[in-house]
Amino acid sequence: MVFDDLRNYNESALNALTKAISTKKVIEKDNRPVNLNLLTINLPIIGLSSILHRISGLAVFICFPLLVWLLSISLESEKRFSDLQNSFQEMVLFKLVIFLIFVGFIYHLLAGVKKLLSEVFGFGETLKSGSLLSWTVFGLTFVMSFMVLFKIFNL
Amino acid sequence: MSQVIPVEQLKSLTMSIYRYDPSVDEKPYMQDIVIEVPTDKDIMVLDALHLAKDQEPSLSYRRSCREGVCGSDGMNINGKNGLACVTPLSEVVKRNKLTIRPMPGLPVVRDLIVDMKQFFDQLEKVKPYLITNSDNPEIERTQSPEEREELDGLYECILCGCCSTSCPSFWWNPDKFLGPAALLQSWRFIADSRDEATEERLDALEDSFSLYRCHGIMNCVSVCPKGLNPTEAISNIRNKLINREK
Ligand code: SF4
Ligand code: SF4
Ligand code: FES
Repeated sequence: MVFDDLRNYNESALNALTKAISTKKVIEKDNRPVNLNLLTINLPIIGLSSILHRISGLAVFICFPLLVWLLSISLESEKRFSDLQNSFQEMVLFKLVIFLIFVGFIYHLLAGVKKLLSEVFGFGETLKSGSLLSWTVFGLTFVMSFMVLFKIFNL
Repeated sequence: MSQVIPVEQLKSLTMSIYRYDPSVDEKPYMQDIVIEVPTDKDIMVLDALHLAKDQEPSLSYRRSCREGVCGSDGMNINGKNGLACVTPLSEVVKRNKLTIRPMPGLPVVRDLIVDMKQFFDQLEKVKPYLITNSDNPEIERTQSPEEREELDGLYECILCGCCSTSCPSFWWNPDKFLGPAALLQSWRFIADSRDEATEERLDALEDSFSLYRCHGIMNCVSVCPKGLNPTEAISNIRNKLINREK
């Protein structure tokens, strides 16, 4: 008797549930929060260098049309070329923009080489050597950027 | 048990803890709880949580073994994932503050408890068990000491989830990128001399997401409480994928 009741009860509960599911009543949107505030999560050097690799790549990519445009101006005529040269020598902002593009490019290039090294030859696959490689890339970028800085600003 | 530590050997520590109770809170918030910790010995983050829970009984977190074996108390401790039970305060407390949040990227069930379904779904996909087609041998399937050594650094994983939930690639694609923990287990069975399904296992990883979303950021390596190296396992699989004859 009791079992029959129980079975009936289970069956009706199951039916109600099936109906609810088919009418999507119980399927609510998942509104549980997710902890993903990047400012609260610490980022080791390797992660930082990987993210900067992407950002610098994107930045250089976006600046590329600018460079092509400058090239096309310089190729128009001899006069345009020397005009461009003069404004480059006179405008600090112009120099600065070119310098920043250089920095982005140098970093992207070196980080790319690092990535190739680790993917092809398996360099930097431990935490230590990986961090060391990342620091090396930062250091080299710094040094090379300075060289470019001196060159551009005729220091 | 009564308080056995004399008062003068205590100092206060401010804990800032992520709180969320779906039945009352609209949104998660950070709660400051000041606890008294002993100065003459190091205690673990899990002990600190217990002290906080004495004050706030509703504070929820998972834990079981309290010795780094069960893998249930992974959480984000001052910005870095780790097991609360094996992380001493001296290693993480900065400026007398200890911030604790749930592991990043997974839905929060309550306070520090996250829903690990996505994590275990990915583990299931790599079939983390021996697969054999040959007839069962008379005795057990044996390995030479060298073959067994191949599994060192792989079998120790306790599936705490610290690595996968610190991996940016896993945050963005938790359903498509398997994540470091599952990939480490995948390699554990590919590298096992007794397993006979290497080709099938590799086939399943050929697509551009399952494995190739790893960018070698090594967050996984830097957090693993067991000192394992999922990045290395991933590159071992990658090399196998690239070098195998089609
Ligand atoms: S690899 Fe390490 S961090 Fe990842 S689940 Fe296993 S024990 Fe935890
Ligand atoms: S190395 Fe790969 S798996 Fe590990 S955290 Fe980075 S992207 Fe994720
Ligand atoms: S409580 Fe078991 S691993 Fe921390």
